[in-house]
Amino acid sequence: MQKDLETKFLSDFEQNQNIAHKICRIYTTNQDAHNDLFQEITIQLWKNYSRFRGDSKFSTWMYRVALNTAISLYRKSTRTVKTQDFSDFAYKIKATTYDNTEELQLKALYKAIHKLNDIDKALIFLYLEDKPYKEISETLGITSVNARVKMNRAKEKLKNILNP
Amino acid sequence: MDLLDKYKKTWESQPEDSKRFSKVEIYKLAHSKSSSIVKWIFIVGLLELAFWLTINMLIPDSFYKIYEDLNLENQVNFFMVLHYLVISVFLYFFYLNYKKISAVDNTKKLIHKILKIRNTVKYYVYYNLTIVFLSSFILNSVLMSDSDKLMKVMNPDNLSVDINQLITVTIISQIIAVLIFMVLLWLFYKLIYGYLLKKLNRNHKELIKLEEL
Repeated sequence: MQKDLETKFLSDFEQNQNIAHKICRIYTTNQDAHNDLFQEITIQLWKNYSRFRGDSKFSTWMYRVALNTAISLYRKSTRTVKTQDFSDFAYKIKATTYDNTEELQLKALYKAIHKLNDIDKALIFLYLEDKPYKEISETLGITSVNARVKMNRAKEKLKNILNP
Repeated sequence: MDLLDKYKKTWESQPEDSKRFSKVEIYKLAHSKSSSIVKWIFIVGLLELAFWLTINMLIPDSFYKIYEDLNLENQVNFFMVLHYLVISVFLYFFYLNYKKISAVDNTKKLIHKILKIRNTVKYYVYYNLTIVFLSSFILNSVLMSDSDKLMKVMNPDNLSVDINQLITVTIISQIIAVLIFMVLLWLFYKLIYGYLLKKLNRNHKELIKLEEL
């Protein structure tokens, strides 16, 4: 039973690990911290997996657990760390012709997101991932109306950082 | 097109992380030790209990002579037992709250639950400070109320000293000692728990702001 559960978890998480990587990339600014947070997210996912009933998609459930880990359970402070050494993550874009505009844009976007506070980071991340307001409000535990208002403010903040 | 829509397109086309973890690696990670804030709060609590127990065992028996001289031995033993009982209850609540934490809750609920641990920590700090203050207050009151006892304890060699002078010196030195100890203890708590809870407090404030919208 436990072994079946474990096999299923490993395959679910292996397929969806990119969600966790993206969260690590916005909440940490160097590779060591990225790996640390990824490890903590993996632990929390596995710890709670037996209670995942499959009412929702694994990925939906994973967004919540992984974001919560980054916002509330991860031990290290995320604000004071030095800016990321961008060489450890190659922002290569899937494009047929080589054009580094998008690559630079992605770098700029991550750099701007790093300047937001933890909650705004979560809001912007869920917006970029195209999540509906219902899911955003359920994940954060706030009303849809508040999620909307707060989202607009977070977007304004991000725009101001990107285009001062 | 809105500025952010452009960035959103870029976001969507970003590559997968170059360091993908294999199932074997994920298995190892899943079974490694957690280092979450909640766990650290629990560990620090345990270390504190160990710290106070060690101090208690390291104190030489001669130190307790003062209580014997004052006939306070039984009371002291009673309060010692009560003290460790109370600390055990606090630790039990630490553990209970730690177990209750689940990353599956929504963020607001999760932060509220962690905040409950924070409150346990806060009450624990208040309790410790109160005990230090109260025990020194009681000891002093007993000492001061009986000048013969005071003489016996503070001046065992029976040197000729003025009793008023002795009382003043005793009170002043006691106050200074208690103040120094309380400041050190307060600094210790401020440093350890302040460091542990800094990020949580910040995010909690943000969420409160969300509620007030």
